[in-house]
Amino acid sequence: MKSFRILILFMLCTLNQLVAQKKVRYDLYVRDTLVNFAGKEKHAYAVNGQIPMPELHFTEGDTAEIFIHNELRTETSIHWHGLIIPNEQDGVPYLTTAPIKAKTTHLYKFPIVQSGTYWYHSHTKLQEQSGMYGAFIIHKRNAPPMKEYTLILSDWTNMKPFEVHRRLHMANDWSAIKKAKIQKGAVQSYGDAIAAGSLKTKFTNEWKRMLAMDVSDVYYDKFLSNGKPEIEAPQFKAGDKVRVRIINGSSSTYFWLNYAGGQMEVAASDGMDVVPVPVDRMIIAVAETYDVLLTIPEDSVAYEFLATSEDRIRNTSLWLGRGTKQLASPLKPLKYFDGMKMMNDMMKMNGNLDDMGMNMSLQQMDMNVVMYPEITGEKEEKKDHDHDSRLDNDRYNSNALSDIVTLNYAMLKSPVKTTLPAGPTRVLNFTLSGNMNRYVWSIDNKTVSETDKILIKKGENIRIVLYNNSMMRHPMHLHGHFFRIVNGYGDYSPLKNVLDIMPMETDTIEFAATESGDWFFHCHILYHMMSGMGRIFSYENSPPNPQLPNPEKAIKKLYKDDREFHFMVQNDFASNGNDGEMMYMNTRYNLQAEWRLGYNDMHGYEVETHFGRYIGKMQWLFPYVGIDYRYRKMGIDEVEKNIFGQKNTKDIRQALCFGVQYTLPLLIVADARFDTDGKLRLSLMREDIPLTKRLRLNFMGNSDLEYMAGFKYVLDKNFSLSAHYDSDMGLGGGFTFTY
Amino acid sequence: MKNWKIKITTLLAAIGLVSVSTLQAQNKNVVKETYKVSGNCGMCKKTIETAATKKASDAEWSEEKKELKVSYDPGKTNADEILKAVAYSGYDNEKYFAPQAAYSKLPDCCQYERSAKALASNKNAYNKTDKEQSPGSQQEKVALESVYALYFSVKDALVKTDANTASSKSKELMNALSMVKMESLNADQHKVFMKYVSNLKTDAVSIGESKDISKQREHFTTLSQNMYEVMKGIKPSYTVYLDHCPMFNDGKGANWVSKESAIKNPYYGSQMMTCGKISETSK
Ligand SMILES: [Cu+2]
Repeated sequence: MKSFRILILFMLCTLNQLVAQKKVRYDLYVRDTLVNFAGKEKHAYAVNGQIPMPELHFTEGDTAEIFIHNELRTETSIHWHGLIIPNEQDGVPYLTTAPIKAKTTHLYKFPIVQSGTYWYHSHTKLQEQSGMYGAFIIHKRNAPPMKEYTLILSDWTNMKPFEVHRRLHMANDWSAIKKAKIQKGAVQSYGDAIAAGSLKTKFTNEWKRMLAMDVSDVYYDKFLSNGKPEIEAPQFKAGDKVRVRIINGSSSTYFWLNYAGGQMEVAASDGMDVVPVPVDRMIIAVAETYDVLLTIPEDSVAYEFLATSEDRIRNTSLWLGRGTKQLASPLKPLKYFDGMKMMNDMMKMNGNLDDMGMNMSLQQMDMNVVMYPEITGEKEEKKDHDHDSRLDNDRYNSNALSDIVTLNYAMLKSPVKTTLPAGPTRVLNFTLSGNMNRYVWSIDNKTVSETDKILIKKGENIRIVLYNNSMMRHPMHLHGHFFRIVNGYGDYSPLKNVLDIMPMETDTIEFAATESGDWFFHCHILYHMMSGMGRIFSYENSPPNPQLPNPEKAIKKLYKDDREFHFMVQNDFASNGNDGEMMYMNTRYNLQAEWRLGYNDMHGYEVETHFGRYIGKMQWLFPYVGIDYRYRKMGIDEVEKNIFGQKNTKDIRQALCFGVQYTLPLLIVADARFDTDGKLRLSLMREDIPLTKRLRLNFMGNSDLEYMAGFKYVLDKNFSLSAHYDSDMGLGGGFTFTY
Repeated sequence: MKNWKIKITTLLAAIGLVSVSTLQAQNKNVVKETYKVSGNCGMCKKTIETAATKKASDAEWSEEKKELKVSYDPGKTNADEILKAVAYSGYDNEKYFAPQAAYSKLPDCCQYERSAKALASNKNAYNKTDKEQSPGSQQEKVALESVYALYFSVKDALVKTDANTASSKSKELMNALSMVKMESLNADQHKVFMKYVSNLKTDAVSIGESKDISKQREHFTTLSQNMYEVMKGIKPSYTVYLDHCPMFNDGKGANWVSKESAIKNPYYGSQMMTCGKISETSK
């Protein structure tokens, strides 16, 4: 008996050694490069000369040794997405791992303790958008061989990611104008609204202080399958069942997936197996991975696996098989105004969302179905019957509305029990919050840098109840852990590391705290993360992290990301003078300057500078202090009077001012202020009312009896033609430069 | 700096102060090519040529030869793009097979016979109404299986507010009704069938002949009622539900039969999709 035990022990040891000895080494060289994905040569990052980064393959039980050779002039980092990994290998610079400085090499070394479809990407600034994403595939030990194919989807913009990010914060609608070139009505201007018979809808939308509704913020020039607009996999034959490992490595694009060869069988999500479920179509959130089993029905035909961006502007395809190409049905354009109307119904005047008692969760009720022609029909029919279907719980349930089966989280079931080990449970409630107009994204209205780390203890179970009170969906990702999505399958709830949560949904996830160190939990839309939508979970009494000798100093670097200030400037070069403004702002603060420079002394020169802070969740309130400077040559005996009877006779005026701005319905900004000369001024202003795709209307009036109204015609992302009438300077025309 | 210059030039050109003529050498190379494109009739010709000229500078389809002649500038487009556009409009060609949904949407006269390969390739496409309508007569357990299947196809077309499909499916329903094998019915079933068949045919013909969705829906009320009576007598192999929409026909209400418990209203389409309730179940 004893010898038998020894034998067993011996066998285990050798087996262990055999397994542990299998080291898999990769060398990755990160370099600057020029690429041409969409008609123009642009800067990007290539790793070993390619975009996406090389597909890495491992087998469960291997030890990974990955050398990152940073040949850039800036620092970088690599995060191993979805991997269970020692904390200092997780690759979030300044939080878990040392940043990889320019011209240095960093070794990542960790055991591979799981299997499935994962990926890796840079976690530094906006590098991911420029090509730093790749597939990380871990094969099961002793799994029967199966045909498979890895597909990594991504989005490409010819605009610098820094510019994309800056413009998002400026509520600039240039990307909608670009979309409108492909899809009529994407700007959702008043003109578009009239054409669609939805003027009232547009008006209500602005009354509720919303800008044009969109399902994605960024205009992308191309979507890519393994780095190409279209890619072919001719190696598959009729009858083959192919495991396609799909990774959404894009920075901010959700994709609809459908297959020309029939249904898709969903077999795994985020690396973890699920009980196979057949669907006609599915959406893949940013950063999610899905394994789907696709059958090739015929030889001499190539079947399209079509990925369409959620805004349906463009798509990218993989062709499975060789021969005549069988197209999948393309997705028809969104019915924007139906979406806008739906949004109006859901939006309360105070900016909170109202789900009308629908208890939404797990992607089952997709409010956007009102915009999908394939589910809700091509056009709205005339309302010939008054029936309040709002009470109807299935109104947004696409599986009840059509015979097309769409995947949702309620359909995912783990093949094995996933119950958490016994232990104390802590419940955390998070409300996802956002402000589209200023592009502020947060949790409980606080950004990462505005909150402390959330302390957790090893051995606890953490349950997070998430509610999405923002107008966009968010793919929330937890580093270094799998969580269960509590979805009605009880003990067999699926394990994932990304949870897509739609507006107004409440979802519950839970995980066992089994690690140590600090772990990031954040929205995986790159621009939301960089704006501060996240939290840090920190294990109490963790050992010091050798990679970060000064953690207090390091974390400040991480906090810098969402504290970043963005700059914008605009000047109207008109025949009757110059008008302009400038803003330098971040999540809460804004330094503004406005000027009016005439071409002679009589017209005068005027500069007002403000510094203030946005208050409240919706940031409609903005108190400020500022300095005004004005020079204007007055005629003899000329007196300026305002509606309060206050007078001015001086040529030069310098004053300190205190004021407050408030955004009213219809996005009109009211401004009230008084200055150290005792002057009071009230004004109302609205900028950029979209009349047509490119035509914008501005107006302003104040209690000094000054007023202005003007038109702008947008030529490109920087220039507009303009014409305006100004009470001081009269009629003028010229062009406006916007940065 | 270079960018700036370009922008200012564009701007000035736009204002009209300076007119800059683009001196780019125009690529006058025009490629002419011929491709096999399936199709039937004059209407097909129009659709095919319109689709092709979205990309090509010129396109002509020959009905006899089933060939499309295209001219295009290779600097601007390519044969793939042109033939893809043709396939999206519903027509199989030598490079692309049309999506099943695009093919089914073609008007009756344009539904050309697809090649065996295209047919086989599309048999799994997610157009479920089409899956249901191919009843293998050998395996039929119930004599009226294809009649029932076509009734549901008509219903699904009405749910989608698709008058064309409703009409074509209704014509097929008419045929199926004429082809029911009486010998496979027992005495009771025969009695039931004979009682309703002429009314069923009348409504099927009316729906088939109309392209006006509101007329079709009117006839669908009686068609549904009679169909349900038949289904009660000659039970299908699955559960059916008699659903009721209280609003239709100025509040008089109307019924329809469905295979699913989920409500999908054929009388109002997307607008009132889930209006209505199950009033009876027949297992
Ligand atoms: Cu987000």
